[in-house]
Amino acid sequence: MNLRNITADKLVGMYAKRDLSVAEVINGVFEEIDRSDKSIRAFITLCRDRALEEARRADARIATGEPLGPLTGVPVAIKDNMSLKGVPTTCGSKILGNYIAPYTATAVERLRTAGAIVIGKTNLDEFAMGSSTENSGMFVTRNPHDLERVPGGSSGGSAASVAAGMAMAALGSDTGGSIRQPASFCGVVGMKPTYGRVSRYGLVAYASSLDQIGPFAKSVRECAHVLEAISGFDSFDSTSAGIPVDSYTKGLDQTIHGIKVGIPREYFIEGMDPEVKASVERAIQRYAELGCKIEEIHLPHTEYAVATYYLIATAEASSNLARFDGVRYGLREGSTGGLSEMYRKTRMAGFGKEVKRRILLGTYALSAGYYDAYYLKALKVRTLILSDFQKAFEKVDVILTPTTPTPAFKIGEKTADPLSMYLSDIFTITCNLAGLPGISVPCGKTSGNLPIGMQLLANHFQENLLLRAAYQFEKSGGFG
Amino acid sequence: MKISESDVEYVARLANLEIADEEKKELAGQLSRIVEHVEQLNRLDVSNVIPTTQVVTNTKHAVRDDRVQLRDGSSDAGKTIKLFKVPKVITER
Repeated sequence: MNLRNITADKLVGMYAKRDLSVAEVINGVFEEIDRSDKSIRAFITLCRDRALEEARRADARIATGEPLGPLTGVPVAIKDNMSLKGVPTTCGSKILGNYIAPYTATAVERLRTAGAIVIGKTNLDEFAMGSSTENSGMFVTRNPHDLERVPGGSSGGSAASVAAGMAMAALGSDTGGSIRQPASFCGVVGMKPTYGRVSRYGLVAYASSLDQIGPFAKSVRECAHVLEAISGFDSFDSTSAGIPVDSYTKGLDQTIHGIKVGIPREYFIEGMDPEVKASVERAIQRYAELGCKIEEIHLPHTEYAVATYYLIATAEASSNLARFDGVRYGLREGSTGGLSEMYRKTRMAGFGKEVKRRILLGTYALSAGYYDAYYLKALKVRTLILSDFQKAFEKVDVILTPTTPTPAFKIGEKTADPLSMYLSDIFTITCNLAGLPGISVPCGKTSGNLPIGMQLLANHFQENLLLRAAYQFEKSGGFG
Repeated sequence: MKISESDVEYVARLANLEIADEEKKELAGQLSRIVEHVEQLNRLDVSNVIPTTQVVTNTKHAVRDDRVQLRDGSSDAGKTIKLFKVPKVITER
């Protein structure tokens, strides 16, 4: 059973009328995965037995006539840096290759409480460090639209699983664009909520001040359902926001007539793919036709975002990843040679090249003599980037940009040059630095049939407005 | 700022990483390029700017009572699992 042509709402409606059982659907999904995932390789671990067991239990509940939630029996995939009790959580790294999570992440548990069934854990760039899923310590995931191309990253497996109809929705994590960029490359909806909106408890930390969990789905409404289920305060995450959660689906149908859409000149750069540019310009035109006021705005510090990000993110990563030392988790090497040798041998054998590169860069930025020049300076520029947005949101309600400067690139195209890979995140990074919510929505295709995505950004905790703006675009003529 | 192979060795030691000799040169080159790129931040005068370490808005840092809280999906540590076996971490001099 391929999930591309059915929505969660329809599926739950069919369960309610007993036209279809959850067990049939989950069985069908695994048949589809057996067929498609040989070439796409979105999944690291499949949760076949437990998913079928949960499906049978869901069917039993449905048989009693109890009211169904919007995600009852909906098959979801989880990026493999989020914990699910009793299931491996590898982070795409050899260092956690044999690690089994002893507890479940809050966001995952909330999805399960809402009735969703976890079918598997998806591939990612090791510890979410990358933009193509080529840095996975396991294998490379391929873009379902063109198997020679990357699905984006780091949540490439989650994006590909939804795009290929192997999962109805998926969770990813977004530190510098790791949900929005693969969503754009794979032609699905992907959302990074406001920092603090979704609990990070049980998410393996990459850069704690930037990381945020969010949903992938093929439609805005499904994305809103998932976000509603996973959002909200969690006493297990000290950065979780105590702000009430809106009903994200209820507001979708409200008009966007009169809202102000800001277009930042700095996001339409030289060297941008002309088809991406044309497609995003058509989307802007569509918003004008929907009655929005289009206004040019300025975010003058945008050009410094990549540099700021790669100092802050790597500095935080160098500290967060210090815990992988052979003592508590997964791999252990050289334990006969004393403690320091065990640390070094374990980390040398367990971490891949990009992870080592980022730990080195972050350690360098924090080291004596360089802290003020690099790390502290980046924190100050972060203030300037945040204040750019604060000024912009005094003028406009949402900001519209391309999600990426190009469509999905070829496998191997950027692996030799880390800096060129970093620069592919140029449009998504500012949102994390400022803690804003952002969504990527498909807005067209290239002549080669590759998806193009546009990004919408809003002020903190304006997820409702963001989803409504995305939904009205989708409704007005599809994503094309 | 150019990163030398001995810089790589020094930082690797700080980070408890072992880097193979053949990787040092490549890493020094790549890190040099990245550091060169991030040095564009020097174009900005930020002497009077307050650093932003965390963007948590409209909420104060939440600290809960230090009590064990169990819920669905919680670890069995302390319940069925009482002890953890770890490698020897204290060595004789």
